[in-house]
Amino acid sequence: MMKQIALYGKGGIGKSTTSANLSAALSLQGLDILQIGCDPKRDSTRMLMHGNFIPTVMDLVRVRGEANISLSDIVYTGFNGVRCVEAGGPEPGVGCAGRGIIATFQLLEKFGALTGDVIVYDVLGDVVCGGFAMPMREGYAQDIYLVTSGELMSLYAANNICKAIKRLSSRTKSTCRLAGVICNAKNQPREEELVGEFARRVNSSLIQYIPRDRVVQLAELNRKTVLEYDPDSAQAAQYRSLASRIMENTRFTIPTPLEIDDLESLAIEFI
Amino acid sequence: MTLNPSPLNLSRSGGCTLTGALSVTTHVRDAITIIHGPKGCTHHNFSLLHATAVENERVSLPDIISTGLSESDIIFGGEGALRQTLDKAALQNCSVIFVLSTCLVETIGDDVAAVCHGSYGVPVIQIPTAGFLGGTFQNGVNNALNAIADTAEPCPKVVCVNIIGEKNLEYEVEENYAEVCRLLGAIGIPVNVRFLRDCSVRDISRLGAARLNILRDAEVWAVGERLRYRFDTPYIPSFPVGFAGTIRFLEEVACCFGVKCARAVHEEKSLQDEILTEFKDIAGTSVSFDPAGVASGTFPVANEVAGHFGITIDPDSPTVPLQLSPPVGTNGIRHMLHRWRRAIHA
Repeated sequence: MMKQIALYGKGGIGKSTTSANLSAALSLQGLDILQIGCDPKRDSTRMLMHGNFIPTVMDLVRVRGEANISLSDIVYTGFNGVRCVEAGGPEPGVGCAGRGIIATFQLLEKFGALTGDVIVYDVLGDVVCGGFAMPMREGYAQDIYLVTSGELMSLYAANNICKAIKRLSSRTKSTCRLAGVICNAKNQPREEELVGEFARRVNSSLIQYIPRDRVVQLAELNRKTVLEYDPDSAQAAQYRSLASRIMENTRFTIPTPLEIDDLESLAIEFI
Repeated sequence: MTLNPSPLNLSRSGGCTLTGALSVTTHVRDAITIIHGPKGCTHHNFSLLHATAVENERVSLPDIISTGLSESDIIFGGEGALRQTLDKAALQNCSVIFVLSTCLVETIGDDVAAVCHGSYGVPVIQIPTAGFLGGTFQNGVNNALNAIADTAEPCPKVVCVNIIGEKNLEYEVEENYAEVCRLLGAIGIPVNVRFLRDCSVRDISRLGAARLNILRDAEVWAVGERLRYRFDTPYIPSFPVGFAGTIRFLEEVACCFGVKCARAVHEEKSLQDEILTEFKDIAGTSVSFDPAGVASGTFPVANEVAGHFGITIDPDSPTVPLQLSPPVGTNGIRHMLHRWRRAIHA
């Protein structure tokens, strides 16, 4: 059965790095992977594509019109056969990026592009409007992973996304659930404990603690995922572990978001 | 705006801000109005304006163009579509282009003002009209009137009045105007600009020439204030309403111009006496009022008139119809009495 997962979290927290390395690790298990970048910045799949920005669905729609696009125009094969799609969107400051995500999903559906063993949706920072909740709706991504560090603002964003998941999962036809929290660490003291406790309090669990490691930057400078650039590194092992745990995960919950005061007290406990 | 679909809550003037502004801009003869949004917003309004005009015996097609936004314009922003439509409209030999926004473009944040500031060879006036922001139909009317008023420059005053904020969608718009003209004519005061009904950009440029503005009613009070500030023109806050109110109107206008009105007042009182005689067959009867959709200002006039005829107001008596807006002038009351008589003798 096809697994559809989505990674959400604060902007700049490392969703795209985590997604690309996760897709690479999953593909190395012999799985057929489709990664969909759902951010107008369109850099989700860049490391899988060896530094290339692939044409985005929205750019193609704008230039050629929907009728003149085929599946091969929007899906690009990157590292180890991982298929890559970028939704794209308007220039910063104009139009409606959320509607762009909705239009992209409709187009991908129309082309029958949503196939494979695992689809990884890499979604823009916060769920700022209904459009960015699209991957969680209509039975697309069933398993939502929150990417966060131990910093308060990052936990705050993750907590807000819990609110969106809670709201959406209460709909009768909804299949989206919180599947776990990924700690993309800033190497702060007691960070793993803090994020673990946060995950527990929002009725979920810490799936993987990924320490901060310079190899991530080195791999990016070499336009590769860590799995490709340095497969024997400890960091590559972390991503492989994340991939295995995600495939074995059976705990999917309706989250219980925290009040801001509780979130702050939690962060203070782990100073 | 109402969520209760009762006939009591229905009115031509109860709709969208966009419709309010269109009821004004489409009356500038040499203007084109662009509605920046999906084509449906234009289609519905076009239909409404056309149907209303036909009902008021004006066969005219409102000059409206839609930017016809599609999904991709929403995603990437609709400013390009607006620019293209402005370029196209500018080729059509018009004196001014109005750009009215819709809910959709205000939601996605199109910078309509910035696009309108471009150079198109024709003046472009932007009027924000997104209905979802909570504005009423009347806000649309007032925003349009204010924006258009700002295009006129102060000019030397002459003996004349402007008529401000006629309700272009009401059934009685022309007969109300005729009644006001009759009263003004009785004291020798001509009308300068009907602001805004069936006029040209050149007409509008003379807006500052009037020594007095006569507002249709209190709903355009803000426009009256703006014109007073801009052109130093005082205003009378409403068309004449009721027997006594009509006499007062004559006296107030005459006072503003320093003309004598004793004879006009005498003749008007004679006309009012004629009406009391003409309709004496309904004197002393008992009626109730049908309040469906009626503006609150109508009831004092109805009560005043009933008082003159010794008519008793009783909820169990036959219902007589009331106009949606208060009847204008002495002849407005005569029309109301004709309808009352039909109902009483029915």
